[in-house]
Amino acid sequence: MTAALTARSVQKRFGAAVALSNAALTLERGEVHALVGANGCGKSTLSKIIAGTVQRDSGDIVVNGAPLVLSSPAEAEANGISLFYQELSLIPQMSVEDNIFLGREPRNGAGFVDRKALAKKADALLQRFAPVAGRGLNSKARVSDLSPDQRQIVEIVKVLARDPDVVIFDEATAALDHRQVELFFRIIGEMKDKGVSFLFISHRLAEVFAVCDRITVMRNGESVDDFVTAETDMDTVVRAMVGDIAHDLDPAPSTDFTSASARLVVQGARGQRLQDVSFSLRPGEILGLGGLQGQGQSILLQSLFGAEPLTGGRVLIEGRPVVVRTPRAAVRHGFGYVSGDRGRDSALQGRSIFENMAIAEWVAERRRLVWPGRLQARLSEIAQSLNTKYPSLDAPIDALSGGNQQKVFIARWLATNPVVLLLDDPTKGIDLAAKADFFRLVRNLAAAGAAVLFYSSEDAELIGLCHRVLVFNSGRIVAELERAELTSFNLTGAAYGSAA
Amino acid sequence: MTLANALKGRVWLVTLAALIVLVIVNAYLQSNLFTPRVLKSNLTVFLPLVLIAVGQTYVILAGDIDLSVGAIVALVNVVTVTVIAGIGTEDAAAVLAGILAGLATGVACGLFNGFLVAALRLQPIVATFATGILFSGIALRVLPTAGLPVPAPYWRTYAGGLFALPVVLWIFIAVLIAVGILGARPFLRHLTAVGGHRAAAFQTGLAVTRVRIGGYVLAALFSAVASLCLTGETASGDPLMGGSLALGSVSAVVLGGTALSGGSGSAFGSVLGALVIGMIGNVIFFAGLPFEYQTLVKGVITLAALAGGVVIARR
Repeated sequence: MTAALTARSVQKRFGAAVALSNAALTLERGEVHALVGANGCGKSTLSKIIAGTVQRDSGDIVVNGAPLVLSSPAEAEANGISLFYQELSLIPQMSVEDNIFLGREPRNGAGFVDRKALAKKADALLQRFAPVAGRGLNSKARVSDLSPDQRQIVEIVKVLARDPDVVIFDEATAALDHRQVELFFRIIGEMKDKGVSFLFISHRLAEVFAVCDRITVMRNGESVDDFVTAETDMDTVVRAMVGDIAHDLDPAPSTDFTSASARLVVQGARGQRLQDVSFSLRPGEILGLGGLQGQGQSILLQSLFGAEPLTGGRVLIEGRPVVVRTPRAAVRHGFGYVSGDRGRDSALQGRSIFENMAIAEWVAERRRLVWPGRLQARLSEIAQSLNTKYPSLDAPIDALSGGNQQKVFIARWLATNPVVLLLDDPTKGIDLAAKADFFRLVRNLAAAGAAVLFYSSEDAELIGLCHRVLVFNSGRIVAELERAELTSFNLTGAAYGSAA
Repeated sequence: MTLANALKGRVWLVTLAALIVLVIVNAYLQSNLFTPRVLKSNLTVFLPLVLIAVGQTYVILAGDIDLSVGAIVALVNVVTVTVIAGIGTEDAAAVLAGILAGLATGVACGLFNGFLVAALRLQPIVATFATGILFSGIALRVLPTAGLPVPAPYWRTYAGGLFALPVVLWIFIAVLIAVGILGARPFLRHLTAVGGHRAAAFQTGLAVTRVRIGGYVLAALFSAVASLCLTGETASGDPLMGGSLALGSVSAVVLGGTALSGGSGSAFGSVLGALVIGMIGNVIFFAGLPFEYQTLVKGVITLAALAGGVVIARR
């Protein structure tokens, strides 16, 4: 009997970045198969290629013995492959039932939508989740009125409604509580017995071990290991995700901060995707935020900077509670923020390097008028320390490479003497040399007394730079790793929620 | 809050209430409003905007906009009269040929708009503003000055009656039926989904590009029918016809409760919206306002109606 789906030596590049160098996977009929790996290992890219939303550069994908191109989601679906989307694929303005059957509406003889049949089918499907659906989840409800877990249930029902042969669940349980997860797993079990195959991506290793038959581990765009779940344990899987490379580059000096009083204290912070986040940060300390991508690290930094709302909890600076509702207020409280998404969050496109560097100071010092000459003298000192080549301070920011731009954006805060620096995965897409310069700047700032909160999706950066790392999972801090415990193994293990 | 809940997603109820108020005021100002003759002439005046607003709804539901509908009206008009004049006979066959040529022109315009916006991914506002100028330019090339009367059978039929009811009323009823049929087809859901959340619609496997082009073709087709109605009314060709219809149709759509961002609304609402806009003009006319104030007051009332619907819907 042929496998339900086989992927062989799949390769994919995005520009210069290699996302997949050699991805392989065999999904047997009636099997639940986990795909795990650290950030950027390529598991999401591979699943999107299988679902037809991303095109591979080379390699084979064989479904039921037939090689396929899979150039669109519609084509993947025609071959019985359905993908559950992490970023939801529901239309908020439409009703639950219309969403479930979108694109596959039952029709009557005249070609009209058969509303009765549609409602009946939707009700029957939702019925399976009735015990855990919560209030307000019915087939007529508008999706925008539902809670996140209810939307996730609708998304699952939408996948099931397609009667797929192969289902890819990418973080399908992220918003569900444990009762909902249990029921969901039971439904997976029933479908598995009918011969449906599942590719299961989750950041909760416990779930992987609870529901999956086999585990494929990916690392740096390659499939590196295959395990039968019953014959392995979590440590072995985590070790396979991390690999043997020890990359402790230029470790930060471990300083004793216990004597200093806290600069920033966050107590029970809650937000859209944050649950009860508490920690404290001392002057001179570089505190890392780790975990898989999208577990609340960026949201936390953006919330502290006033760009996203916090719905609960307290923020104290030097022991005084502060309320920060806008980035403007944050700057005046001494926060600085450097985003990894330079184009969206940092750059004043088309403006000069000088303006891009001076902007934070203008806000911080409430300047209405500036004498460019005086400011320029101060800023050029800072600019020199950046180790950056630029034609002149008047050149447009776009003339610089991504890495050099990022140095300008951190320099922006040097002039304001920030008390807390928030770094939101700042090294995305910048080259190694610029990265090293960037980290040197961060260290200097910390040495000068700034408290640094540093989120990175690369474990090596956290290990190289941080005094301490908080590991996030589903909007919560699930582990705190001291300097001595900072290893790839511990970070990956904690990110997947295995005992740490 | 029960009122606000009942109104949620049903802004057209507000529009309907506004329409009823306007009809009452109009009836008070104009005692013979409810005579068949006046009702028919009102409907004749409102019908083109109703048609175009219905077509515009499908584009806006999909998250796009079509500012070229007015120019399509002009182009369809000159093509129709030119074809009829070219055939040279004054019989029904010539009229029919002209009408078909006009409708085909409309569909071609819609395909072109849809191609630019959905396939080439140009900004809808800019692209259709530009194609509007283009279509106007072609219209002027086809018929440089107003003229070329259409044969009598055309306008006599349009102004006449059928089975005891005026033809314009039959057309209005046909529009409502067409809206109903379109509303019951899966296509409308796909259109709404594409306008509601385009990425999600794509991930769901909808043919997003084709759906958006479909919206533009529908809008152009309804505009073409509107143009044929206007032609029946004016009985001649005019390359400058339909100038203010594009923005008028957008106002009518928004008044009817369709979100400009796409994804929610209904063509029935747009019919109400178009009637409200028409009635505002009536009321102002019969209120005896000095001519120089009419446009000003019309602007204020339209703005108030738009704002009212939006404020109520936002709760």
